[in-house]
Amino acid sequence: MDLILFYLRKLFTILKNEVLVLPSRVVVVLFFLLLLLLPVFTKDPYLLRIFTLTSIFAILAASWDLLSGFTGQMNFGHALFFGVGAYGAALLNKHVGIPPWGTVPLGALAAVVSGLIIGIPCLRLRGTYLALTTLAFPIILMGVVFAFPGLTGGELGISGIARLAGSRVIDYYIAVVVMLGLCTIMWKITDSNTGIIFHAIREDELAVKAAGINTTRYKLLAFSLSGFFAGISGGLYAHFMRIAGPSTLEVSMSFQVVIWAIFGGIVTIYGPVGAVFILFPLLEFLRFWQEFRMLMFSVVVLLILLYMPDGLFRWLRDKVEKECPRCKIRNVAMRHTCRVCTAPLD
Amino acid sequence: MIQSFLEIKELTKNFGGLRAVNHVNFSMERDQILGLIGPNGAGKTTLLRLITGILKPDSGSVRFMGKEIIGRKTWDIVNMGIACTFQNMRPFRRLPIIANVMVSCLCPRAMKRGEWVKRLEAKAMDALEFAGISDMAREDASTLSQGDLKRLEVARAIATEPELLLLDEPFGGLSPAETDLMAKSISRLHKGGRFGRLHSEGPAMIIVEHKLQWLMKIADRIIVLNFGNIIADGTPDEIIKNPYVIEAYLGQGGN
Ligand SMILES: Nc1ncnc2c1ncn2[C@@H]1O[C@H](COP(=O)(O)OP(=O)(O)O)[C@@H](O)[C@H]1O
Ligand SMILES: [Mg+2]
Repeated sequence: MDLILFYLRKLFTILKNEVLVLPSRVVVVLFFLLLLLLPVFTKDPYLLRIFTLTSIFAILAASWDLLSGFTGQMNFGHALFFGVGAYGAALLNKHVGIPPWGTVPLGALAAVVSGLIIGIPCLRLRGTYLALTTLAFPIILMGVVFAFPGLTGGELGISGIARLAGSRVIDYYIAVVVMLGLCTIMWKITDSNTGIIFHAIREDELAVKAAGINTTRYKLLAFSLSGFFAGISGGLYAHFMRIAGPSTLEVSMSFQVVIWAIFGGIVTIYGPVGAVFILFPLLEFLRFWQEFRMLMFSVVVLLILLYMPDGLFRWLRDKVEKECPRCKIRNVAMRHTCRVCTAPLD
Repeated sequence: MIQSFLEIKELTKNFGGLRAVNHVNFSMERDQILGLIGPNGAGKTTLLRLITGILKPDSGSVRFMGKEIIGRKTWDIVNMGIACTFQNMRPFRRLPIIANVMVSCLCPRAMKRGEWVKRLEAKAMDALEFAGISDMAREDASTLSQGDLKRLEVARAIATEPELLLLDEPFGGLSPAETDLMAKSISRLHKGGRFGRLHSEGPAMIIVEHKLQWLMKIADRIIVLNFGNIIADGTPDEIIKNPYVIEAYLGQGGN
């Protein structure tokens, strides 16, 4: 009993001193709680399905940010990793009979391999050339898929694979927990020493080499990590939809990821995740308005890009928080002095 | 035969029709500070870039502590102990200054040599303190003045814990007072001073510089380059008296 009280008190202290001091942290905690508690309030299959898919795509968008946002390796073919993950999981399930908890990580490993394969020719490319080259890879793979309809199901894809889990609620929890976990890991990676090197490679690759860092290794690491997370997302998608089809490799899928990431704000991880949670449900809920759906969607995206070039969530964050000019700690915008070093803000 | 610390033989580099470095030969010892001077476009920066592997020479060889380094990757050369600064500074602009230096501290060589300094940030801070910009450690590099960017370049280079330090115009853009400070720090580093406590002895150096009165004070030896050729090589006193040098370099308005 005392122990429980002790931990409760500790939790409360953390909440008070670390979370409640910053709006962005409060929002993150609420986001975690709301997602984890959603099925308690509603078991509506339509809603659960939307948020399961949203979570799966949030992993995909964050993994793009890890590669393209952080290391600046503009990947316009991110669907490749998603597709390899999806097809890999589906093939392993259908032909080898491995259950989803095995096929999803194995599919992700296949995506890592594909990341290395495309990473190596992309090492020397930069900017537009890199973008165009990466754009081509999923299209090439789609060609391969169509070339072997016996194995891949051709245009129809591989259907009838095992469900992710027994029920909608469990599907939902798997997707949400995996998403929250992986995005936290990605955020941790970007916050680590490796993350500093990723940042630096984006800023000036030659200067990183001159600092004694093997940039080739780090760029390939970025491609593999990004491929791994995107592959997990693809595998979850295949098992949730019970089909892996060519739509996972489409150019529009690749672009969708870029739009999500830029909308939310690149080089943040949380930006693309938040963006998917706004844009994906929005697109679903606009379904009743079939004709104007894409138009409305585009208008929203364009407005954000025009007025908030750093992305929606950066913009929001800068509205409610400001950085202390002295110690660089973030504070609620309402404060006049820094909460740590008491220097005057602004 | 006794091995030289750095030995450059017949090094040649062409840019299209332009020969930027022409059959350059020299060697230097571990305890030297070598000044490299010459008019603009003489090929000084090119020569440094050839040594660090940023550029590939058309012919010739560079041996560092007995090992051929031509053909190796820049990061391998840095991890063998050669660090360089960029003449036109190349900071990671959107990263805090301390993170700029932490990148260098993360190279395998620095990780191995300074392992008794537990925290990476403390190591980076050491280098920043040496360069005199530790008070701005948390600012973004984009906020730095030209002079402070030069110091950041030096901090990043020494953070890799080099045996040989190549400085490309370290006094460029500094005021006389700042130049004085920087010149003092450089001699101190060479003697194994403040930042030098991480080394058994301070690094050897090649310094490209136009501010001759300061360079003469810290260098043991000066090499003069003109149109990619070495036209003189000697102690500072000999160089000032050399008629070729006066004509090619000092004569044309330099002091
Ligand atoms: N990357 C390059 N491509 C073409 N020409 C170059 C390049 N770098 C330097 N040069 C030329 O080589 C010559 C030597 O340049 P550099 O080594 O920068 O001279 P310094 O540093 O002595 O002023 C100059 O004529 C310059 O124009
Ligand atoms: Mg130069």
